[in-house]
Amino acid sequence: MTRLSQFLARNWAVLLLLALWQGWVSLAGLNSIVLPAPWPVLRDVLSHPALYLANAAQTLATAAAGVAIGLALGALVAVAAWASRLLAGMLTPLGLIFSSVPVVALIPILARLLGYDISTVVAIVAVSAFFPTFVFVGAGLKDLPRGADDLFGVLGASRAARLRHLVLPATVPNLMIALRITVPEGVLAAILAEFLMGRSGLGFMFREAASRFAMERALGTSLVVTVAAVLCFSLAHRAERVVRTRWS
Amino acid sequence: MTLRARLHRYGPPVLGVLLFCLAWQLIGAYRLAGMTWPPLTAVLAYLADPAHHQLLGRAAGTTFAAVALGYLTGTGIGLGLALLTRLVRPARAGIDRLVALVHATPAIALAPVFMILMSRETIPVAISALAVTYLIYVAATSGLEATKAAHADLFRTLGARPLTAFWRLELPSALPALASGLKLAVPVSFMGAIVGEWFGASRGLGLLMISAMQNFQIPLLWAAVLLTTLTSLILYGLLGLFEAAVHRRFR
Amino acid sequence: MTQATPDAIRLDSVSKSFRLDDGNSVTALEGIDLGLREGEFVAVLGPSGCGKSTVLRLIAGLESASTGEVRIEGRAPSQLAAAHRLGVAFQDHALLPWLSVAQNIALPYRVAGTKVDNARVDALIELVGLTGFRDARPSQLSGGMRQRASIARALVLDPDVLLLDEPFGALDAVTRRHMNVELQRIWSTRTLTTLLVTHSVDEAIFLADRIIVMTGRPGRILREVTVPFPRPRDPSVLRTPEFHAMVDELTLALEPEEAAL
Repeated sequence: MTRLSQFLARNWAVLLLLALWQGWVSLAGLNSIVLPAPWPVLRDVLSHPALYLANAAQTLATAAAGVAIGLALGALVAVAAWASRLLAGMLTPLGLIFSSVPVVALIPILARLLGYDISTVVAIVAVSAFFPTFVFVGAGLKDLPRGADDLFGVLGASRAARLRHLVLPATVPNLMIALRITVPEGVLAAILAEFLMGRSGLGFMFREAASRFAMERALGTSLVVTVAAVLCFSLAHRAERVVRTRWS
Repeated sequence: MTLRARLHRYGPPVLGVLLFCLAWQLIGAYRLAGMTWPPLTAVLAYLADPAHHQLLGRAAGTTFAAVALGYLTGTGIGLGLALLTRLVRPARAGIDRLVALVHATPAIALAPVFMILMSRETIPVAISALAVTYLIYVAATSGLEATKAAHADLFRTLGARPLTAFWRLELPSALPALASGLKLAVPVSFMGAIVGEWFGASRGLGLLMISAMQNFQIPLLWAAVLLTTLTSLILYGLLGLFEAAVHRRFR
Repeated sequence: MTQATPDAIRLDSVSKSFRLDDGNSVTALEGIDLGLREGEFVAVLGPSGCGKSTVLRLIAGLESASTGEVRIEGRAPSQLAAAHRLGVAFQDHALLPWLSVAQNIALPYRVAGTKVDNARVDALIELVGLTGFRDARPSQLSGGMRQRASIARALVLDPDVLLLDEPFGALDAVTRRHMNVELQRIWSTRTLTTLLVTHSVDEAIFLADRIIVMTGRPGRILREVTVPFPRPRDPSVLRTPEFHAMVDELTLALEPEEAAL
């Protein structure tokens, strides 16, 4: 198969969608307030690179900080739960409950609790990343022999050795799965939080553009959001694969 | 199971949930997290008070209807696309790519398109359906690939026609994965409906949350969130039971 | 072999090679000439990886020959399957977990689109000794019982050809011996052209009229042996000196190849 036909086989549906969009706008003769065609949207992005880049960088940095905090806390609590049977029994149902609940519903509560601030956005992302991480890393540790009480009782050196040789190898692959799952959720949570209460970032930019019917700007933001999300998603995916092959 | 074993198994989870509720109550009662964290009893009392039933009931009715419609539509589209890739195999790669792209696209990025295409009241349904579509599509396609090689060999040696093999082998083999997908789609459908309401719906629990957040109606805010998450959780649990039954029977 | 009656199953200078992922190809079978007379029970014996299962898969129409020709009653194997005249018992029992024993055994009727003959299904359940487990699910059965259900399913449509791919390979030695005796009993109720693939010398001698010994890499026929014991064979035949002598002879025939592996 040539490269072109391979490309077409993989992307025909996406291309079809774009063609339908362009065709619909042209045929219906819509003006740009209703629905701009693909090309003017792209032009808006390309002619304001600094604006888009700055906001995208801010959103991604916020999301990254939140995801990192959520992953770290989730893994930490999972290891603590591994060390204590009682703690595991108590935390596992809570972890399952919170990871099977629509987390976005918590955004308004967190926003109210912590104030309309960028640190709140980070906290929201961290919360959305925390629970899946706890559940996945916990599942990876479940097959390990229990640390029971000796994790806290035995000499420090042996505890460190056990952590390093037993717990860490079991944690990392599942942590990468958690990363793959939480990255798209984290990006979505960050953008939604910005949309609801932020003063900067892609989510805010989108709300601002939509409120004054600047559809090219709004769709341009959508485009950048999509590209950023897809990029994060595939990066996380690749990271997971690299770690999995190296680690085992 | 003996009482002791039962206590050992179910004790810690029950204790965990109870402690969680207790912590919620105490933090609220002693204002440890400020004025915006109400005690659990205050939220429950707000929910129980008949004076609020009309407001909450109307919002919940709208949101749950959107969730149900989105869930069913998404399931239908997801199944339809999965069947299409099964029927027309060359279409698979392209549809995979489109579905993955739509999934990776944050719902908010699709909002402008929806705002143009449909009324604000249908946006929650659409976003919910879109999110559900992805999960069901992935579950159904991987389910349809879950047919064991030995079973496929058996059907070939029995001289099964493609349609017979589909009904008697591929479809039953796909049910466990599909049941898991149906369960996982529950919170996703709620998420979609709520986010959808944030794009200008005139009624619904998601809208109630935002207006309560902006107007400092703390008990209302928490009550709306609790009502949403509890409903999602109960449906998730019910579909979890269904999933377990399907796995027992078809695996 | 008399030329007057044409073979029911015929493999003419068949070879089979598989393409590997790295682009190389591996030859699984080379120059296989094999004929099964109507009603004959032939066992293909060989070490694991010698391609004996590939022989069976070629006859079942699950693979196609790279060169040469496979014919069953003068036609392509797939035609026999399409006519629902083929019975196969696989190494993995391949029972459908969501169907009961009776429904699994009745499956060939449903796939063929004909009415289920419940009397025949019940008779087969009795024949393979699963009475009382009619409505049990495969997960509730032991390994030996699953294989019996799988053999009953292979027999239910009264096929022209029966193919057995190490049907007892996953069983322990005692159960396996027991199943051999059962299969011998079932088979003597109606003779049908049967090909058994196995790596067990005892099993091959006890069940077959003729034994094809294969060697591996690439799979070739090493020798053919006719089994002299008259039918029906009583399990006591397993204890005769003649039986032991034959086991020793065939084990020796297999051994150099195994030493070379």
